[in-house]
Amino acid sequence: MNIKRRDFVKSSGLCLGAAAIVPHFAGNLFAETTYTAKPGEVNYFGMSKEDIRKLLEIALSKGGEFSELFFEYMVDSSVSMSEGIIKGSSESVRLGVGVRVVKGEQTGYGYTNELTFEKIKATALTAATIAQGNSKATVANMNEYFPKVQTYATENLISDATLKTKIELIREAYDAAMKYDSKIVKVNSSLADSIQYVTIANSEGHIISDVRPMVRLVVSATAENGKVRGSGHGNDGGRVGLDFYKKTAHPRDIGTRAAKEAVELLSAEPAPAGEYTVVLSKHQSGVMIHEAVGHPLEGDANWKKQSIMSEKFGQIVASPLINIYDDATIPSLRGSLNIDDEGTLCEKAMLIEKGKFVGFLNDKLSAKILKQPENGHGRRETYQHMPIPRMNNTNLAPGESTPEEIIKSVKKGFYAQTYQGGMVENTGKFTFSVNLGYLIEDGKLTKPLRNATLIGSNINILKDVDMVANDFGVFLGSCGKAGQTVPVTAGTPTLRIKKMTVGGM
Amino acid sequence: MKYNSNLNDIARHFVEFGKKAGADEVQISIYEGNDFSVSVRDGNIEELNEASDKAASVKVIVDKKVASASSGDLAASTMEKLIKNAIERAEYSGKDEFAGIPTKTADYPSDMSKYDLYDEAILKMSPEEKIKRALDMERFALADKRIRASGGAGFGTGEGTRVIANSNGILGQYSTTSISASVSLQAGEGDDFQEDYWWESSHHLNKLPSGESIAKKAIERVTRLVGAKKVETQVVPIVFDPQMSQMLFEFLLQCISGSAIYMKQSFLVDKIDQSIASKMLNIIDDPTIPGGAGSRPFDGEGVPMSKMTIVENGVLKNYLLDTYSAKKLGMKSNGHASGISNCYIAPGNVSPEEIIKSVKKGLYLTNTIGQGTVPTSGDISKGAYGLWIENGKLTYPVAEVTFTGTLSEMLNNIDMIGNDLNMRSSLSAPTIKINNMSISGK
Repeated sequence: MNIKRRDFVKSSGLCLGAAAIVPHFAGNLFAETTYTAKPGEVNYFGMSKEDIRKLLEIALSKGGEFSELFFEYMVDSSVSMSEGIIKGSSESVRLGVGVRVVKGEQTGYGYTNELTFEKIKATALTAATIAQGNSKATVANMNEYFPKVQTYATENLISDATLKTKIELIREAYDAAMKYDSKIVKVNSSLADSIQYVTIANSEGHIISDVRPMVRLVVSATAENGKVRGSGHGNDGGRVGLDFYKKTAHPRDIGTRAAKEAVELLSAEPAPAGEYTVVLSKHQSGVMIHEAVGHPLEGDANWKKQSIMSEKFGQIVASPLINIYDDATIPSLRGSLNIDDEGTLCEKAMLIEKGKFVGFLNDKLSAKILKQPENGHGRRETYQHMPIPRMNNTNLAPGESTPEEIIKSVKKGFYAQTYQGGMVENTGKFTFSVNLGYLIEDGKLTKPLRNATLIGSNINILKDVDMVANDFGVFLGSCGKAGQTVPVTAGTPTLRIKKMTVGGM
Repeated sequence: MKYNSNLNDIARHFVEFGKKAGADEVQISIYEGNDFSVSVRDGNIEELNEASDKAASVKVIVDKKVASASSGDLAASTMEKLIKNAIERAEYSGKDEFAGIPTKTADYPSDMSKYDLYDEAILKMSPEEKIKRALDMERFALADKRIRASGGAGFGTGEGTRVIANSNGILGQYSTTSISASVSLQAGEGDDFQEDYWWESSHHLNKLPSGESIAKKAIERVTRLVGAKKVETQVVPIVFDPQMSQMLFEFLLQCISGSAIYMKQSFLVDKIDQSIASKMLNIIDDPTIPGGAGSRPFDGEGVPMSKMTIVENGVLKNYLLDTYSAKKLGMKSNGHASGISNCYIAPGNVSPEEIIKSVKKGLYLTNTIGQGTVPTSGDISKGAYGLWIENGKLTYPVAEVTFTGTLSEMLNNIDMIGNDLNMRSSLSAPTIKINNMSISGK
């Protein structure tokens, strides 16, 4: 779907509401009433195209090869409920610009939250010092371009909803969790939403803007039975509108999921210790793909030759059953994007095809050094961070087995249901932490098991996946790397891994 | 020591504005700072970062109903609009009898310089000098033939001022400087390599350990893991090196935070004055140590901080409480709205060498990977790296195994506490030995 010009202009208008104040430090960030946007007019955070061109040129004045401005305005809101009452709500505003200068493999970065020409100029000169010398580089006229896809909800956004509406959502989830079972003693239900406006301009003469909504409803529930306690979690959301919680993911189901997990954990035993056949459920096992495949294939660790995958491009690295891709253009997910944070248009990138390593996750810098295509994976947490290669929505494609067949095939093993998360090193060694799992005995799920760490190395586990099911589920996550957190998803079908170390007692 | 009376005026102005706009209680905190960082790799500058930061956060209470806001823009019009919005939103919150901001109980020390958190010398360092320090540290590390790649070396400096003000008369400010250096390394060959790093930081330029000593420590940590293998699944003692002890006690601190307790998301609910660990264990939090990594006069709500015992001879004496969680639990805030200050496990009288010598068969744990901690149950399960101990001696390196246990059992199974406490961060611990740990491998 192509973005409608109308939508874009509407978005720009909103963006201007924020930006119009900027030239005056003491101006009003919320001056919607005094600002009058003319339809179709584009004003990039109070800067003219010519100002932006000049600033990009100043950033190159010490010999840099590439310069970029990343303008951001973001409003975050949240509201939470626990112990029967709304405990509070919050609103947070972020506004600023990051200036980046690249020379060869070197990057200079600076940022400021004072959006005046003079202050940005000073910041640009600081970032420029990465290069040492003089430059007569000029920046061509700025040309605006537009995203080719619209992957976010554009109507009925939660950031436009009233606080009352948001409270209704978290209350429904809260009540459902409390009512699930008399053993539930505490529930926390919260909704966090944001709207982010970005304008990205670079010395190649490109300028592009994007408006990104995000929302997440999170419930945690604690169950108690005598001295035993268990906590369960449920969450859902994405770059969606209000309809999502009416039609796709009802708050009461999110609440129920959290409560169910908490109660199930009351009777869960410690997992057994040792090597077992492991079945990863479709629900959240995307964690494994994210850690074992996604991170090791990020361009930066590869051009720096720090990743275990650096020398394996073009080789068979996984079982032929495995096809893995990253696709930001899937609509409405947490990792969905029209453009990345360098302004590159997002597209589907194949990473592993029938077991063969065929692609990297690239930002501009890694694409250039690795001589690989840019594919829209340069992301950053805020204007205060420089972009680095990141995942968006990373998926392992479904196969042909049925989930039932897979469980039935295991005589004794471990079934992973929900996760706390995962972690990986450049060495390919990774863990994922299971919150709730089940023992598999003679092809059936029997006892619930709690808190087990599964550990392996990616080059082994990718070869040890020997069954891939025809179902599919998505894990909603926040990914941390180099001190930056970005929203992502990772999806998988049910998978069987021949042998893995299960950390238990 | 720096003092910015202008920031106090701004904070006071917003408190008054909030009161006039209809809030019963208002709390404002402001941070303003400047940071510089450089990272180098393979002898070249890779990233150079320089920026100034500002942030304010505000909490309002109207009729015992709470709302909050934050902004990176301190302009009066922005902040005033946010405060007005918060007051309007508060109406939608539930009436919470425990809501409230602290009242002023005591004056802060008039001379903040005794905390020794600010060093002009850091501000006088030139960017060239900082870059050189990072390059020298990395060069030293790469000169070791066992190092296969540099993950980069970093050097950073910072300076910042914090202000807290509220409508009950609290107004405080302190400034800090910081300096830090780190280096990350890989060692090994082909697909069999390891990575590890080391870092140091201080409020004072001349207290930062040399780049050479940081590089040496990183080299030692990464090279000793090369060639690591799995061990059998078994139950043995684990010797936690100081970093790993720190990791373990970080989990304990999570389990005694006031909010985890009143939300019952901790295995240590209702355990004050009860034995929770071996009698050997003593944990103290001391915010008054001059120049200490976490030293400060007051917490994030402006409540004065003082030396506090957390665990005494194995008995839990205090939770980490802010004003709200304290009221919920019928206690008094002990100044931990922003966590611990300088928390340490009191050292024992055996050397780490003697501890290792006491183990017939077990794991010397030097690194972990993964989350795997659940405060509600106290369960812990993490991926482990380290060195195998045979007959009191360190032998071959171990990886791709996990250790699993419950914190409750582990605290009670502490068998030895080392004398090697080094207060290098806000949580510090010596080497400790814990018996009966479950290791999962092949």
